[in-house]
Amino acid sequence: MSPAVQIDDLSFAHPGSDLPALERISLLVPPGESIALLGPSGAGKTTLLALLDGRLRGWQGRTSVLGASLDPDRPPLRARRPDTGFVFQEFALVERSTVLRNVLNGRLGRMSPLRALMGSPTSHDLETALAALADCGIADLAERRVDSLSGGQRQRVAIARCLAQEPRLILADEPVSSLDPARAAEILTLLTGAARARGATAMFSSHQPDLARRFAQRIVGISGGRIVFDVPTSDLSEEATANLYRDTERMPGVGLRAVS
Amino acid sequence: MRFRGFGGFAASTLVAGAILWSFMTTDVEFSRLLSAGPRIAEFLGRMFPPDPTVMREIMKGGAETLRIAILGSLGAVVLSAPLGILASETMVSPPLYRTVRTLLAFIRAIPLILVAMLMVGAVGLGPLPGIIAVAFHATGMLAKFYAEAIDGVSRAPIAALESAGAGPLARLRHAIWPQMAPVIARDTIFRFELNLRESLILGIVGAGGIGFYIQTYVRSFQYDKAASVTLAVIVMVVAIEAINVALRRRFA
Ligand SMILES: Nc1ncnc2c1ncn2[C@@H]1O[C@H](COP(=O)(O)OP(=O)(O)OP(=O)(O)O)[C@@H](O)[C@H]1O
Ligand SMILES: [Mg+2]
Repeated sequence: MSPAVQIDDLSFAHPGSDLPALERISLLVPPGESIALLGPSGAGKTTLLALLDGRLRGWQGRTSVLGASLDPDRPPLRARRPDTGFVFQEFALVERSTVLRNVLNGRLGRMSPLRALMGSPTSHDLETALAALADCGIADLAERRVDSLSGGQRQRVAIARCLAQEPRLILADEPVSSLDPARAAEILTLLTGAARARGATAMFSSHQPDLARRFAQRIVGISGGRIVFDVPTSDLSEEATANLYRDTERMPGVGLRAVS
Repeated sequence: MRFRGFGGFAASTLVAGAILWSFMTTDVEFSRLLSAGPRIAEFLGRMFPPDPTVMREIMKGGAETLRIAILGSLGAVVLSAPLGILASETMVSPPLYRTVRTLLAFIRAIPLILVAMLMVGAVGLGPLPGIIAVAFHATGMLAKFYAEAIDGVSRAPIAALESAGAGPLARLRHAIWPQMAPVIARDTIFRFELNLRESLILGIVGAGGIGFYIQTYVRSFQYDKAASVTLAVIVMVVAIEAINVALRRRFA
């Protein structure tokens, strides 16, 4: 089976920025693994995940996702996109639509174009969406409008939308940043559990090393756009994590760079 | 400071020159200007008391004005939907939306009454030229509003749907439209109110509606009847304004 993610010597700078956000990254993720990205603010976690989702153009290097290589010049084929699911750091929900509508939006790429346009899901689409809602513990919110929800509830909707998509690779950008510690553990159990149950690969970024340790088999530390460590969870030392955040401590403000 | 002083001097000279020029080049003679006051007073006197027997004409003309406004607005909505998309930065390429926006600016620049006169020339008297004129004129503003509604939409959910594999139409329907709909509703009602108000006078150039009766009665020296119709128009404008204020409160 092809690796879930294969990155060779990847570099990228955001348009209009002279500092690279990612610098000479290489990474191999076998299918089914759950992997955590740790790193200080501005390290490049969101950038890396967005790139794997096929949303960034103009990078250098070679990258393939679920066996198909990404093209730095054009977005991935639409047919491939449902296989990669994304949980956005800022949720990216349609505020004025209901929770159920938002979760069904995750199914749009799997519906026929006509059904997608009409917004008429098949019974299978509906069951999948309702199951995702139930898994995320928000079945009772189905008919609520998103603009009436709390931050934690929105986060669950964002995760439910991703699960309803039935992706083979789940990319989650700080999926538990808005939750209290107990809820955070619950959601990560859910996310990594759902991934394992369907043999999907899960890659999530986090600012909480203890949660990364608990829920990932492997931890990648990023700082200043570079990978500073890439180890099985059991090998991760307290010292390595501490260094990851210490490196940038003396440089507050925009454009944080590691001093390594 | 010196520049500002010079600018101020140039501006006042220009304004004074323009006023003098206007007096010189029209037939505004001082004697006529003096007699205008009494003549207007006399004219107003002949409007009193307003003749209440024209109620039937007022109802008929008012209903026709309402129909012109409704159908004209409908036409504007139908035209503005595609033109709004074509004028939106987020839906089409810069050369296209710039061209369409320029076109809309030109449309807005042509006064409604002028469009109505041209349409009367093209399709004859009656409400039809009024409807066409309102639809055309209102599109200049409404399509621009629609484009702004599209561009004011938050991008993140659109990107999320694209990431999930939704096509452009599905994104329009499920990420853009829900954000846009309330803005579109508000703008459309606002434009309808303007259309209603502006179509009250279309009849003066023969494009149908209540204005037709004002023109007819003035031309035939029935000033008391003209007065009744004018009062009816004022009542309608105030009523529209009141409804508008209520609606604005609803959308605030
Ligand atoms: N759209 C953009 N345009 C220009 N620069 C950007 C853009 N997005 C991010 N950057 C820059 O790229 C670098 C990496 O940002 P990124 O968002 O990937 O960090 P992150 O690790 O996700 O941080 P956080 O933990 O705060 O979410 C930062 O220096 C940031 O300023
Ligand atoms: Mg981020």
